[in-house]
Amino acid sequence: MSLYNFKKIAVVPTAKDFIDIILSKTQRKTPTVVHKHYKISRIRAFYIRKVKYTQQNFHDRLSRIIQEFPKLDDVHPFYADLMNVLYDKDHYKLGLGQLNTARHLIDNVAKDYVRLLKYGDSLYRCKQLKRAALGRMATIMKRQGANLAYLEQVRQHLARLPSIDPYTRTIIICGFPNVGKSSFINKVIDTPGILDHPLEERNVIEMQAVTALAHLRAAILYFIDPSEQCGHSIEEQISLFESIKPLFTNKPLIVVLNKIDVIQPEELAENKRRLLEELQVNCAKGNLVNADSNSDLSVVPIMRMSTVTEEGVQEVKIEACERLLGHRVTEKMRSKKVDGILNRLHVAMPAPRDGKARPPVIPPSVLAKKQQQAEKENRKRKLEREIEVELGDDYVLDLQKNYADIPEEERHDPIPEFWEGHNIADYIDPEIFDKLADLEKEEELKIAGGMYAVPKIELDETMKEIRDLARQIRNKKAILKDDSLLRKQSTKPVMPRNTRAKQRDRSTTRLRDEMEKLGVDMSDTKEAHFTRTRSRSRSLSAPAAKRMRPDSRARSVSRPARDEQGIQDGVCGPKMLLAH
Amino acid sequence: MAVRVQFENNNEVGVFSKLTNAYCLVAIGGSENFYSVFEAELAETIPVVHVSIGGCRIIGRMSVANKNGLLVPSSTTDTELQHIRNSLPDNVKVQRVEERLSALGNVIACNDYVALVHPDLDRDTEEILADTLNVEVFRQTVAGNVLVGSYAALSNRGGLVHPKTTIQDQDELSSLLQVPLVAGTVNRGSEVVAAGMVVNDWCAFCGLDTTSTEISVIESVFKINDGKPTAINSTMRASLIDSMS
Repeated sequence: MSLYNFKKIAVVPTAKDFIDIILSKTQRKTPTVVHKHYKISRIRAFYIRKVKYTQQNFHDRLSRIIQEFPKLDDVHPFYADLMNVLYDKDHYKLGLGQLNTARHLIDNVAKDYVRLLKYGDSLYRCKQLKRAALGRMATIMKRQGANLAYLEQVRQHLARLPSIDPYTRTIIICGFPNVGKSSFINKVIDTPGILDHPLEERNVIEMQAVTALAHLRAAILYFIDPSEQCGHSIEEQISLFESIKPLFTNKPLIVVLNKIDVIQPEELAENKRRLLEELQVNCAKGNLVNADSNSDLSVVPIMRMSTVTEEGVQEVKIEACERLLGHRVTEKMRSKKVDGILNRLHVAMPAPRDGKARPPVIPPSVLAKKQQQAEKENRKRKLEREIEVELGDDYVLDLQKNYADIPEEERHDPIPEFWEGHNIADYIDPEIFDKLADLEKEEELKIAGGMYAVPKIELDETMKEIRDLARQIRNKKAILKDDSLLRKQSTKPVMPRNTRAKQRDRSTTRLRDEMEKLGVDMSDTKEAHFTRTRSRSRSLSAPAAKRMRPDSRARSVSRPARDEQGIQDGVCGPKMLLAH
Repeated sequence: MAVRVQFENNNEVGVFSKLTNAYCLVAIGGSENFYSVFEAELAETIPVVHVSIGGCRIIGRMSVANKNGLLVPSSTTDTELQHIRNSLPDNVKVQRVEERLSALGNVIACNDYVALVHPDLDRDTEEILADTLNVEVFRQTVAGNVLVGSYAALSNRGGLVHPKTTIQDQDELSSLLQVPLVAGTVNRGSEVVAAGMVVNDWCAFCGLDTTSTEISVIESVFKINDGKPTAINSTMRASLIDSMS
């Protein structure tokens, strides 16, 4: 994970592709059918839309490119310098600037032509205006051809840069070619050999190394090959060291004498040894600005190692890491950053407040297990996860299987949570087993006391005879009953003679009586809609419907005579006759 | 051992589990991955129990526990309570409390001897807490936060508190709790330390995001794997400064 990731920049198409992409998009995504008999406003809108859509797509695409490329002013100086070395800052800035101008030009073209389109008076003219607009946009983009090609190259190269977080701990290893840097380590930034010549003459690769030296907060290992097998003399190597030393100011620095398997410094010729001694004197002055004069960070150590025999390699690595960490810490301590976390470096130790002991509670089995683990790695228990994997979809979590104090066969007894609307837990009696035991004991006592023993009754001769006879009679009666049932013809149910038909016994009167008896005031219920007791036809109270009434006329007549129709009653009839 | 673990892609393991010196409660999840991490580490020595509280999985925040007892909120159903009672050792007292601040794990931080509680906790709850868990109770805040249970992770050997706790507060809390305390984070800088980890006297579990620096602080202050709290301001000091600022 790095702060700077240049791999995500989208591809920059060539000018031709760029135009094709945008125009075909316009073709695909806007309506294509228009007729000249359409209202002119509709025709104008059709072409305005096309122009605007094309402009928007150019604009978005260009903005995206401009945005995605890192801005030299915003990135870490390490990357800014690196990009300057690799792509030439001016060229890069110019490229992006021109794209920005192109974007503005396209916006303006669209604005102008949209304005003109508002005055277009026929389909043909609108169409020509649209063509002109799109054509001008395409021309503007075509002029950016070289520019786009350059940016695409930059993009491809950026994507291949190693992603280095300039803020973390870094170690840089440098020195002449073939002095054993790559053999030492391949993990950290491995700068290619730098040759001792003026800065302006250095090639791109060397300049990359120089930017790293200058900008990364890193520990620097400068490798010297005293055996001169690399093809460069000790003088050259030391003079390079002196010339790039300004880049090392205020960085932890270690000078490493490599290839001691070939030659030990003591075995060198007199003049070369003197050079190394001078170097030692120089190094003793140190290069850190803020280091304590008495701390060991203040001197630049000269270490020896051999990557072939691996002698001293570990020591160099440890020393480099320790120095880098120590340096970073002292730098940070000087800044304000550390104040915020000082409380987190503090371990509050308790001041004893009473004599009470509060020992840790660690089961002896844990300690035993630890010991056992030290002896050998083994686990007997089958993990729940392993059971789950084994059973696959059939796995069901068994909550009850570890109830230690419930016997195995009772553990899985289902207990309903609710039963007929009652919460079972409310009815759990914790003493139920004790009560049961008490009851059983009481019962045992009762049995022992002879409560349930049946007293033996002595029978005399006559009683025996009577009982015997009674049994015979009962048997005989049962047989007779069965026989008569078998002999009977009808299988219909029998209505017993001595029962009466059921009568309705609910009535308004009874209701009234009962309610009054209970003390309810029923005086105002004359108008109440009690269901009228309607007797069935069988009811005793109903009058016999078909009896002839002596005072009424014969009922066989279905219709009154014409002279009697519409006359109220018997009294009116004679009066009517008189009225005639 | 400090173990990194994740509950269904969530790093807040202290929310879904409760660890004490006598037992461990684990939420019922979709798979047994989470449970089995605890099971592998602990099941040979203490019971590791699947538990839900009021049908929820956030048992670590709802309950408060030590080796002597367990307090659960009033939302716990009878069946769940019965299950907990069946599963835990007999000498662990399980008690349901009627408390307005029902996320007991957020308002109470405790080890086997001392408890820090939210200043507004009910008197009755405080009494029940002292009786059931057998602890001394102190009303306190951690770095100005009333949710002491969320911002302090305690064992009998040490404690980790909110990273912004001042040195004076740390000293005061430390002498109340009688254990060494350190201000720190879990899960790559999370301040809610108790939600991000669970710990007892011999092991700790923290979220998968926890950095190695955080793990080494945890192991030192809780004296896990022969760690020593003093290492934090001696041998680990330089790397702590470098990684934190």
